[in-house]
Amino acid sequence: MGRLIRIFFRLQLVQLRSAMEYRADFWIGAVGAILQQLVSIVFLLTFFGHISSLGGWSLWRILVLQGIVMTADGIREMFADGVWKLRADVNDGSFDRVLVRPVPPALQQVTALASIHGIGNAGLGLVVLIIGLARSELTWHWWSLPLLVITVACGTVLNTSISFLTNMIAFWEPAAQSAFPTMIALMRDFAKFPLDVYGVAIRFVVTVLLPYGLISYYPSRLLLGIGQPPGWWAVTPMIAAVAAVLVTSVVWHRGLNRYQGVGN
Amino acid sequence: MTAVEDVVTRRGRRDTAGPKYLSLARTTLQQAIAYRITTFFNVGLTFIWVIILYYLWRAAYAGRVSIAGLTWDQMRTYVVIAYGINALVGWRTGSAMMATIRTGDIVFEMVRPLNYCTTQIARALGFTAVEGAISLAFTLGIGLLFLDIRPPASLPAALLFGLALIIGFLTKVLIVFLVSLLTFWTLNGMGLMWSQQAIMQILSGTIVPLALMPGWLQVIAQVLPLRGIVSTPLQLYLGTTTGWSVVGLLTLQVGWLIALWVLANLAWRRAFRIVEIQGG
Repeated sequence: MGRLIRIFFRLQLVQLRSAMEYRADFWIGAVGAILQQLVSIVFLLTFFGHISSLGGWSLWRILVLQGIVMTADGIREMFADGVWKLRADVNDGSFDRVLVRPVPPALQQVTALASIHGIGNAGLGLVVLIIGLARSELTWHWWSLPLLVITVACGTVLNTSISFLTNMIAFWEPAAQSAFPTMIALMRDFAKFPLDVYGVAIRFVVTVLLPYGLISYYPSRLLLGIGQPPGWWAVTPMIAAVAAVLVTSVVWHRGLNRYQGVGN
Repeated sequence: MTAVEDVVTRRGRRDTAGPKYLSLARTTLQQAIAYRITTFFNVGLTFIWVIILYYLWRAAYAGRVSIAGLTWDQMRTYVVIAYGINALVGWRTGSAMMATIRTGDIVFEMVRPLNYCTTQIARALGFTAVEGAISLAFTLGIGLLFLDIRPPASLPAALLFGLALIIGFLTKVLIVFLVSLLTFWTLNGMGLMWSQQAIMQILSGTIVPLALMPGWLQVIAQVLPLRGIVSTPLQLYLGTTTGWSVVGLLTLQVGWLIALWVLANLAWRRAFRIVEIQGG
């Protein structure tokens, strides 16, 4: 295990170094990523200019949700963006290389790309999260900080797993189009707002099918003390992360068995 | 959509170069049809935010008649149609423009005896025809079946909406074109597209109507050309702007369009020199 973690960071360091070669490109990427996140922040500021609270959720409390989702995704981008290369690698046959090396294929694929602009997302996410927490007037318990850290960590795992899973479509459908995984990944935006506002169908989707809500809404209610949330909601991020990893590894092994390389 | 195509057809009869541009549009139209599933998902993913905004505003309007002069009926209609319009001239158009610069295919564009800006508009038209059809299907499907959007305020409102929409389309193509020229200086087209999309979503009034924005942001959005893409057509559609203000809005739109056209041609000529340096 220790060896694998060492390899993970070694591989990522190589990626980050090559990304830093093009300094201007890095800044353009980081600014672009931050601007994209600012859209929902600008909306929120405007929205709360006209209403004072959304069913018990103030602007600051919603910023906590946004901060958690943004940070988790930023970290995913930084350390596990390789899953988004899977389709291209399977299509052009360079995935063959991954299979012959004596390092687990999943680890290689995850580390195949490190998007350093993720640092922009994660940084902005942290700032938003801290501002949200500071102004939410919450009571800190001994478990608050651990819960927050676990939530963000599990969120990173969940986002990575879901993106990995949707990109594995390449094993079954070689001509897979790029927008499907993007659409599923973007559905995390639902979890940037309290789930109470949505209808039953959407709440079901982001709680059970694509459990983005489990890494934001449920633990945040506990953290912020909104309503009377049951204590076991503290483990919802872990349920989401573990379930996602299990499903992903099952599908990954099936996919590997199906992979035949390209050409003849 | 047909209105946009009609303009091109009519211009084609008068101008000898017209049919050439039209054939360029037809090429990209066929490409877009070939990749219709991607286009479908690309339009579909912008509607995630329509659903989010619908539910948030529904909660905000509980027990209120209007917010900043907009009723719940108007707000609902605004959100759905704004995203429908914003899906036009989407990711594909911009990335195609950047790809020609990145791969060097731009050389072929340069040797053609055609205006480069017009060429790009013609290409965008082809993509937009398909994007527009899918976006219209989404807007009407989701809008009429689930979100109960309203028809235009009146017949003149509908006509003005159509006119403003066409000017807005041309404005957006020119802006995307100007941004794509920056790929002459940077390799990170993705970052440029992200920035462009984000700024456009805010300042065009897609994410939230101009009237609701905080004062300072409203002032910025009101003078910039981006409002002409989404906000101006929708203000006319909803009939929230009447009389001389309509003339003012359209004048601003056309003025910016002309300015952007001149700017695009100037910028292109400047970028042209860079290509020679790289090629030499």
